[in-house]
Amino acid sequence: MPRITQSDLQAYLDEALPPDEMAAVEAELRSRPDLLRQLALINGRRDAGVHSVGEIWRRLRLSCPPRQQLGSHLLGALDEGQAAYIDFHVRVIGCRYCQANLEDLRRQQEETAETVKTRRTKYFQSTAGHLRKKS
Amino acid sequence: MSPRPSLPWFRVGQGWEEGASGPCTQASPADMTTQPDADSLLVDRIRRGETQAWDDLISRYEGRLLAFVESRLGRRGPSEDIVQESFLGFLNSLPNYDGRRPLESYLFSICAYKLTDHLRREGRRPAVPLSSASDTSGDWQVSDSARQASSIARSGERKELEVKAIAEALSEQIERWREKAEWTKLMCAELLFVRGWANKDVAEHLDITEQQVANYKFDFIARLRTLVKRQGLDEEVFPELYEDEA
Repeated sequence: MPRITQSDLQAYLDEALPPDEMAAVEAELRSRPDLLRQLALINGRRDAGVHSVGEIWRRLRLSCPPRQQLGSHLLGALDEGQAAYIDFHVRVIGCRYCQANLEDLRRQQEETAETVKTRRTKYFQSTAGHLRKKS
Repeated sequence: MSPRPSLPWFRVGQGWEEGASGPCTQASPADMTTQPDADSLLVDRIRRGETQAWDDLISRYEGRLLAFVESRLGRRGPSEDIVQESFLGFLNSLPNYDGRRPLESYLFSICAYKLTDHLRREGRRPAVPLSSASDTSGDWQVSDSARQASSIARSGERKELEVKAIAEALSEQIERWREKAEWTKLMCAELLFVRGWANKDVAEHLDITEQQVANYKFDFIARLRTLVKRQGLDEEVFPELYEDEA
């Protein structure tokens, strides 16, 4: 894989690189002030309203497969071309959102109903009070 | 004052912030089939204070948000805390949430924001100056594109129009590649523009010639440039489409 690109830095700012690449950028940032300046420059460009085609593509998730298609992929139900593209999108492009969806779909087959229920109940009980306040 | 984390959505008036309104954007393909109408109805019910609707939203989205955070933190407990904070953040931003914005992307953006904040507090993520105003390096004038753009005064509405125009063109092209099963062209463009790979690396990875990569890139950029021109958009705000002319 190529070294850190400008697009990687843009994605880093958005917490959108795969975890291992996020960590690699962070490690580089500690010893390379020039990279930090590049990040600041990207922020400056964004503030100035300069658009990057790649950023728009990534942020709007224009090529992300639908979640149902990711599910079909896990079941091996897609044709060869579609399956190869999803593998590419998830592994090479490293789409964090599709990776998360895939992992969630995998876990749904593995986690016990009790574990999931406990977690969801915790989220609900800790936030529902705010729902009532806002309503 | 420590800089705020960047947001994984449009930067200019389009990021997620508690109390800020989200942008009006088209649904992404990934969201279109997560039933945007159903999501919109769900959000309406949550706005009315229906606890069942809130429970439904949590059930629908917590798993993918947890997977997103845990992949980075590697620890279940703190990851669940961040998801919980994200749901709270969603409720706090709800009065200003634009229901036309894809819900899943919006939730991911909140989650990324909370995660970034957490990593910064842990010292894992270095602080980055937000803009030229907060940078003292004196290197701000090195970029032609930044210098050009700094002189462009445009409204937030105008910027959204620019994004929308390019997004529509990209979506149309991506859909065309998909329909024709031209996966190599799609992969090529995604590597070039989303990952920023050089032609040589793309050619090597996809096992095609550099000339093919150059041809695909040329066609793709030409299409986008035509659209930028047709829409009367300012060329300066899409500098990468005109780099070869520089």
